[in-house]
Amino acid sequence: MPKVTIRLKSLNLLNVRIVDYALCYAPTLLFILKVAKSPLRKTKFRIQNPDEIMSSDQGLLIGAHFLLGDYAAAEGAIMAGCRFFAGYPITPATEIAERMSTRLPQVGGLYIQMEDELASMNAVLGASWTGVKSMTATSGPGFSLMMENLGLGIMLETPCVLINVQRGGPSTGLPTLVGQQDMMQARWGSHGDYEIIALAPTSPQELFDLTIRAFNLAEKFRTPVLVMTDAEVGHMTERVVIPSPEQIEIIDRSMVRKGDVEPDHFRIFRESSAAGGDGAVSPMAIAGEGYRFHVTGLTHDERGYPAMNAEASEWNIKRLVNKIRAHRNEIIQLEERYLDDAEIVVVSYGISARTSLWPVEQARNEGIRVGYLRLITVWPFPEEQIRKLAKRIRAYVVPEINMGQIMREVERCSAGQARVFGVHRLGGDILEPQNVLNAIRKAAGRIETSQDDSMNRSME
Amino acid sequence: MAEDQISNNDMLELSWHESYDPGDWVTGLHPMDTLLRGERLPHIWCQGCGLGTALTTFIGALQWLEKNQDWNLDKVSVVSGIGCTGRVAGYIRLDSFHTTHGRALPFATGLKLANPELKLVVFSGDGDIAGIGGNHFIHAARRNLDITVICVNNFNYGMTGGQVGPTTPHGARAVTTQYGNFEFPFNLPYLAAAGGASFMARWTVLHARRLEWTLREAMLHPGFSFVEIIAPCSTSYARWNPEGQGLDPQKLRRRGLEVMKHYQKVGKIAHGTHPKDANIRVDEKGLITEIVEGIFIDEPKPEFQASINRQAQVAKKRWAAANKALEERPQLPGQTDQIPRTEVQLGGFGGQGIVSAGRIIGQAATIYDKREACFTQSYGPEARGGAAGAQVVIDSSPIHHPHLIEPSSAIIMSQEAYARYIPQLAVGGVLLIDEGLVTISGDHRKDIITYGIPATRLAEELGNTRAANTVMLGFWAAIVSVISKAAMRQSLADSVPAKTIDVNLKAFDIGYEKGSAVRRHT
Repeated sequence: MPKVTIRLKSLNLLNVRIVDYALCYAPTLLFILKVAKSPLRKTKFRIQNPDEIMSSDQGLLIGAHFLLGDYAAAEGAIMAGCRFFAGYPITPATEIAERMSTRLPQVGGLYIQMEDELASMNAVLGASWTGVKSMTATSGPGFSLMMENLGLGIMLETPCVLINVQRGGPSTGLPTLVGQQDMMQARWGSHGDYEIIALAPTSPQELFDLTIRAFNLAEKFRTPVLVMTDAEVGHMTERVVIPSPEQIEIIDRSMVRKGDVEPDHFRIFRESSAAGGDGAVSPMAIAGEGYRFHVTGLTHDERGYPAMNAEASEWNIKRLVNKIRAHRNEIIQLEERYLDDAEIVVVSYGISARTSLWPVEQARNEGIRVGYLRLITVWPFPEEQIRKLAKRIRAYVVPEINMGQIMREVERCSAGQARVFGVHRLGGDILEPQNVLNAIRKAAGRIETSQDDSMNRSME
Repeated sequence: MAEDQISNNDMLELSWHESYDPGDWVTGLHPMDTLLRGERLPHIWCQGCGLGTALTTFIGALQWLEKNQDWNLDKVSVVSGIGCTGRVAGYIRLDSFHTTHGRALPFATGLKLANPELKLVVFSGDGDIAGIGGNHFIHAARRNLDITVICVNNFNYGMTGGQVGPTTPHGARAVTTQYGNFEFPFNLPYLAAAGGASFMARWTVLHARRLEWTLREAMLHPGFSFVEIIAPCSTSYARWNPEGQGLDPQKLRRRGLEVMKHYQKVGKIAHGTHPKDANIRVDEKGLITEIVEGIFIDEPKPEFQASINRQAQVAKKRWAAANKALEERPQLPGQTDQIPRTEVQLGGFGGQGIVSAGRIIGQAATIYDKREACFTQSYGPEARGGAAGAQVVIDSSPIHHPHLIEPSSAIIMSQEAYARYIPQLAVGGVLLIDEGLVTISGDHRKDIITYGIPATRLAEELGNTRAANTVMLGFWAAIVSVISKAAMRQSLADSVPAKTIDVNLKAFDIGYEKGSAVRRHT
């Protein structure tokens, strides 16, 4: 039989004959269909009476509890199905590790304290390649060490979660006190081009909810996901209501098991659009299932083999970036208040967003038409929303516990259409509500702008 | 086999990095083809390099294990770091991971811990394992996790062009030690032994057969096993050092061979040598004069996995007990009336249970009274020196600002806390002190209401000094009365050790009575 050698133009890059193409996709597609049909558990985070359910036999904590933020993160992880934690003690993230060390063995999981954060991040990646959901937690100095292998995780498209309980920096900085100074490091901290997902909780309840969401996003998009919380939220104790497991949506990665696909035809880094399903990523093989796959931190082709040239690099990086960019509407979550009539909009995240609520209410009582936009997802950045709003408002006010990191993003997306006022505090304590209120007043032209330490460079 | 050949050829065509005609490739002819990624060959290693031999002995050992020990090679994962040796992961047809520089061991640790069924082999170079990954190496040896480390030692950083490394002999030349290496190298088996490894061996690639036997042993060894393979770096190390006969262009293509001849001359097989004495000796010019080889230690050692299983049993029992306690937690109707934001400051010294007291208030408010509460505590330098501080905000609507702005009440149990926290107390605020521990100062604030109670003495009378904080809690609950008594008592019972519940509840009631009396009088 003559060989069919028609080449699809778009696939020329891959040097694939169409017949191979059809052959190797058929089993994968079948598999995806199989996975897609399996029922997913759906989220309904509101339950009638939280006290009705108090505990569960499977070792899952449910019901209403007065929980430390760090503990809530650990419980969220366990609820999400995390069964492996590798970490290294560091204030103020240690309590996550401590809780996991007690809780994981109760649910059949494993906690290990590694020799440092480099090792922790690697062990997390290794565990994930056995199909086990895995995570680590750290703070500034440890986050720096994890950057190396966060990059490996991104490159190998390894689902995992990294929680950064931010403290004041740089260097050893303020070990016990709050900061939001790693926001840009979260975005660009590992070398090379990539897209990252980062979520910012404002309370122990949200640390629980968003840790679950982080796992779901990690599994769905086959990538490390960051939870960028801070010492204030991590060390705060509040009520956390945990619904019963049936009410929580848990996403498990799409994975090929022994016999699902002919190993020779299996491609571990297939192009997202070609993989079928929801277009996110190709299914993952795990160690020990007979696929005898190879993965490398080198630029690689769809089999995971090193490919050292510009077009391979373009294919490789574009996949990593596009799988997140193309789904940004699904990933980005925002909390909006009073945006309809707003001429000033406060944009913030994490603990600073929470402490900005009072000033916003106060300013509205004073007759200032101020809106509130909280970034639950900080990365990818909600560029479009900020751009659109900038066209119809006078100014943004961006309170954060740093010298103006997310403020730069807001400035970039406003592109001169709206003024941007930052409110800064340099770690050690949360923002004074009065300072945020003053910034709103200044942005609204209610009081004279002046040289004020809390104000940003665009004021100067 | 014919089908395999076809599919492999197809895969070849899918690849980017090579430009060969698929017809060039014949696979399935060599007995080791099934364990090689033929489509990735030829490899990047130089002529005369020892890595080819190292890889073939490894494959030979695997095939032997498959045949004679019923090993399922699907369950074997190979993890490499960066460098020439790191490329092994890319050529072997097993689940293989080419990780970051030095990090192969922690990556393998994660794989092994998460799936103990897997057999893990870390195949990497001396720079990767003993240089950048040195810390991971000693810790992996310490854990004695069932991982086999095959470290190919070529005495330098080969891939980057022959720089000095942690194993370069003293006096030897490298690109970055043109005047001779002034540092001293690691003896790798000794390092592994010091870390706690229970199997270690060394061979040169000249001793291929013995090496293969040793690799079998190492992979069968339960626990951490370490095999150092001495291999020539024909392009770099051999260029600068006498083993490779220098830069004589006539011998350029023979350098690897010259090094092998040298190994033959200096190799000394001595099984059972203490790793400390298992040296690689050099003369004053850095020329290797002796390589001690053999299996140095092969001893059983307690396994890691058994301890993990024991831990899991204990943990599950503990959960069952905790679960029961949670199920027995009573339900209270909760409070529905609106209250304004109420802030409480607690202060004392470490060991008094200040932080616990704050947490009990918060838990009573949220879980049993169904209000909002936010509890924070002081950490770090401000909490050192024995000082302890805790803050609780209680409200019937969501709490935006988690810190105290103007505390309306304070529970103070040390003189230091008195000095620190009283200035912030709101005008008209209520200060509760343990009379036995706090003395009111001469310039005491006139705009606050102060009540004292000998909490520590009262607790002593009950037979448990540590219940002093509970007496203060009862006192506070009665006077400030923002949280119901039932909620406070239940939260307290949840929070203290089972055998002290009764004494704590008694202490609470004593404090509560005193507080009620104060309220009646005012």
